[in-house]
Amino acid sequence: MDSSARRMAVEFRLSLGLLALIALAPLAIDNPYWQGVLIVSMYFALLAAAWNLLAGYTGQFSMAPACFAMIGAYTTGLLAYQWKIAPSLGIPASILAAGAIGAILGLIVLRLRGPYLALTTLSFAEIMRLAIGNSYGFTRGDLGLNVPGLLESRLAWYYVFVAVLAAAQGALYLLLRSRAGLFLQAIRDDEVAAASRGVDVVLWKTVAFTLSTALSGLAGALYAHFSQLVSPELGLISQTGLVICMVVIGGIGSLVGPLAGALLVYVSSEMLREVGGIQLIVFALLVILIARFFREGLWGLARRLLRKAAA
Amino acid sequence: MNTLSRHWRLALAAAAGLSIAAHAADPIKIGISIAQSPPGSVVQGTQVKDGLEIIKDHVNKAGGVLGRTIELVYEDNQGVPEKGRAATEKLITRDKVVAVTGGHQSSVCLAEIEVAKRYNVPYVNTNCWSDDVRKKEYPQVFNPGNYNSRVGLAMAETIAAMGVKRVIAFVENTDYGIGQAKAVAEALKQKAPNVEYKYETLDRAGKDFTPAVLPLRADPPDMILTMLLPPAAYIVMNQLYEQGVAPSAKTWLYDGAGIADYPDFWQNVKEAGKYMLEFGLYHPQMKTPKLGLEVAKTYQQRTKNEPNRLIFQAADSLLLIVDAIKQAKGTDPNALIKALETMKFEGVRGEFRFSKEPGYKFHQWVDIPYVNFQLTEVNQPVSKSLLVQAPGIPLAVGKLQKPVK
Amino acid sequence: MLNVDLFINGLIIGLFYALMAVGLTLVFGILKVVNFAHGEFYMVGAYTYTLAAFKLGFDPWLALPLALAAGAAAGWLTERALMRPLYAGYSSWGLMRDEYAVVVTFALSLLLINLVDKVVGPYPQRGPALLDIPRMALGPIMLSGQKLVATGVSLATIAGLALFLRYSFWGRQIRAVAQNRLGASLAGIDTTRASSLVFALSGALAALSGALLAPIINASPDVGAFPAIKSYVIVVLGGMGSMPGSIAASLALGVLESFGAVYISYDYRDTFGLAILMLVLIFRPQGLFGERGREV
Repeated sequence: MDSSARRMAVEFRLSLGLLALIALAPLAIDNPYWQGVLIVSMYFALLAAAWNLLAGYTGQFSMAPACFAMIGAYTTGLLAYQWKIAPSLGIPASILAAGAIGAILGLIVLRLRGPYLALTTLSFAEIMRLAIGNSYGFTRGDLGLNVPGLLESRLAWYYVFVAVLAAAQGALYLLLRSRAGLFLQAIRDDEVAAASRGVDVVLWKTVAFTLSTALSGLAGALYAHFSQLVSPELGLISQTGLVICMVVIGGIGSLVGPLAGALLVYVSSEMLREVGGIQLIVFALLVILIARFFREGLWGLARRLLRKAAA
Repeated sequence: MNTLSRHWRLALAAAAGLSIAAHAADPIKIGISIAQSPPGSVVQGTQVKDGLEIIKDHVNKAGGVLGRTIELVYEDNQGVPEKGRAATEKLITRDKVVAVTGGHQSSVCLAEIEVAKRYNVPYVNTNCWSDDVRKKEYPQVFNPGNYNSRVGLAMAETIAAMGVKRVIAFVENTDYGIGQAKAVAEALKQKAPNVEYKYETLDRAGKDFTPAVLPLRADPPDMILTMLLPPAAYIVMNQLYEQGVAPSAKTWLYDGAGIADYPDFWQNVKEAGKYMLEFGLYHPQMKTPKLGLEVAKTYQQRTKNEPNRLIFQAADSLLLIVDAIKQAKGTDPNALIKALETMKFEGVRGEFRFSKEPGYKFHQWVDIPYVNFQLTEVNQPVSKSLLVQAPGIPLAVGKLQKPVK
Repeated sequence: MLNVDLFINGLIIGLFYALMAVGLTLVFGILKVVNFAHGEFYMVGAYTYTLAAFKLGFDPWLALPLALAAGAAAGWLTERALMRPLYAGYSSWGLMRDEYAVVVTFALSLLLINLVDKVVGPYPQRGPALLDIPRMALGPIMLSGQKLVATGVSLATIAGLALFLRYSFWGRQIRAVAQNRLGASLAGIDTTRASSLVFALSGALAALSGALLAPIINASPDVGAFPAIKSYVIVVLGGMGSMPGSIAASLALGVLESFGAVYISYDYRDTFGLAILMLVLIFRPQGLFGERGREV
């Protein structure tokens, strides 16, 4: 228990280091296109961190992270488009909406595990996506919704994302280091045993769901005002697949894995796109290899190498 | 001292000359955002690309523009608005293109023009028909292609002349489909107010439309309109044919999306395309300017297919940008926009000026020529189809044929 | 009559769903996992059939068994390379074996889709019809020649499968392993062989349905998403692991969607099945016919 707390501290410090690098990057990269790429990878990093909390630390493999980003994006988008409500109210509304819906979903799937949980959340995600896509009278469906911007300069957006990501990492660290974090991991490792030891499984599973979906909703809302266009594309299962890829590649169940995975996968996918669209093939293969042979992902690999080097 | 400074002056002159030459050799980059993969209409994207390439080669062979060659930078928007937005951003911020064109799916255009406006880059709308693209009245956007209100009026006239009573339209769930359905509704109110008209939206990514088709078997309307792009268009046509709904002795099939001249039309619909009425923007029997005939010939040589309107619209899109650069004597965006607004353009389809009227006519070639024709045999090329209306040929619905059964 | 049309068409579609889903049911019965790459086996069959006919010039009736073989190979390979850790005990996922299956089959699905997209190209391809009659009347309904043939082949295959499972040597072994893996292996059954066989079978069946439907629903890299989702709904609705259950569920789903699309909502017809899936998992996890519990 002591070593895992230490490991978490190391992971947290590493993730702060990564964030510092990202924060300094615009000094070297002043092309708005590549800054945009980094911003989108930070969007994915938020989703990855949210899913990691739910799946990596609590053991609930939901297939709906992209769906909740879509819910967040549409909440603030529709509030702005239909009722001209400012983003300063829209974004908090997105967090609340995503969290509330997430809490309900979490309660519904309480007794489900493994493929059953995956199937139920997948159906939920698809139903939401189809519902939004079909209500073109209200949401403009597949045509996409134009959302007003929030900040003028791209660089300002860049630092907003860095700040939110840093805050999220910090909050996750504090949560996981606390007793709540222990409860979550106990639930992941053996739910029955945890319950028999007095852990309020119902409460903590729902809390994990709520926090995860609220964070996803926030990410979606920020992305909506950044790209100024939301469409049901945000909630596609393949988007969830991308998030899962990022977390598994980076290292599931660690604090730094999702962040590293998101950056690595998204940035290299943009770079590989030039080479000719093989990026998803490479990542899917990586996920299979890592899942099959080396569950701890690239972060786990790095740790092993560091330990060997230290020895 | 003198020789040194003379050497220096020579060196400077040489350096300056070299740099000017190097700069002059820089090609002019024009951004092209098209669909090259599903769910976008790949067939459309490919045809737009073919048309653009023909004009690009034509211009570069004649020495380029202002001494520089034209380079086309392509991005695949997959027919998805979000990807179109990202593609246009990429073209403008990373590739630094002087103009963006190629757009052929309305929902994508609507997302892309926002980006063009934000960065103040001229955007030439090649084939997005939705009136909304014009109604936004963005100064950067120019529309040499067709627009839904035009189709609405044309189709309403035909429907009125044919005397049908009940019309049902199948439209795709995009800005184009729904926009055109509404435009037809508006026009019908004027031209044929007694016609019973309703439209049903279908998912353009759908694979099976039998539930929508089956109810019509029991109660067939007089005419079915289709406003869909392939592949959904082909599936709908095949299923309408399979169930014996249209084209049939009772029910006409009238397509408003202009798909009859797509290269893969006949191989996908076969029997189902016979007797289909078509609203089109190009027919080989139309009067075409000399440049247009050249483009047609080149296209036929390169692809062994008959050309269609997409080729010509794409050609005109690029030609407009090239002419604007010539007139503006440079690539400054505001000068380009001014040039496009004021110039008289002679393209491959005819000559026109962009209108300045508000609403759906803004920066639009208002009097775009169109045709109505009917396919009377399977595998029939457009050139052999039955032309019932064209510029100069008044609508003659008496000639239209119906299947016998 | 519209309702007769809807009912018969619903049954036909239901039959196609059954062919798609029954393989997934078998896999679940034996391995207790949902294969998230099942839709891609369908896609492999559709492409093999279409490409064999168009690129290699095979007669469509020969391309069909080729597609079957390709699907079987894909299924067997998947089991061999990726599924062994689920029961052979040598995975680094330890207690999270279900989650491992989810992640690895999901990634496999992503891999196959993008591989095909890159190698073959993203454009939809229409497979050749086995019976090239665009429309024919069959009693009260109209259908295409291809639909008729596909219906016949599906019926024959499902009947054959049922007989195989009930009466053949390997069929009984598979059923034993599905009932109780440990007990079956104690009784001397080669459970690994049975698992391989089942996975190969599921691949073959999905591929067959992909090939049969290729002329109706064109082959494209992402064509597998649609049969996959239907299959999940059917497997859950029918009671995970029960073959008669999934056949009944398939027919029911086909008819429900057919009527629902006309009388309730055309736009939302895909959500009926999904909503049912959620409701079943929440309230009656054993489905229509299944027996076991849903918790770990």
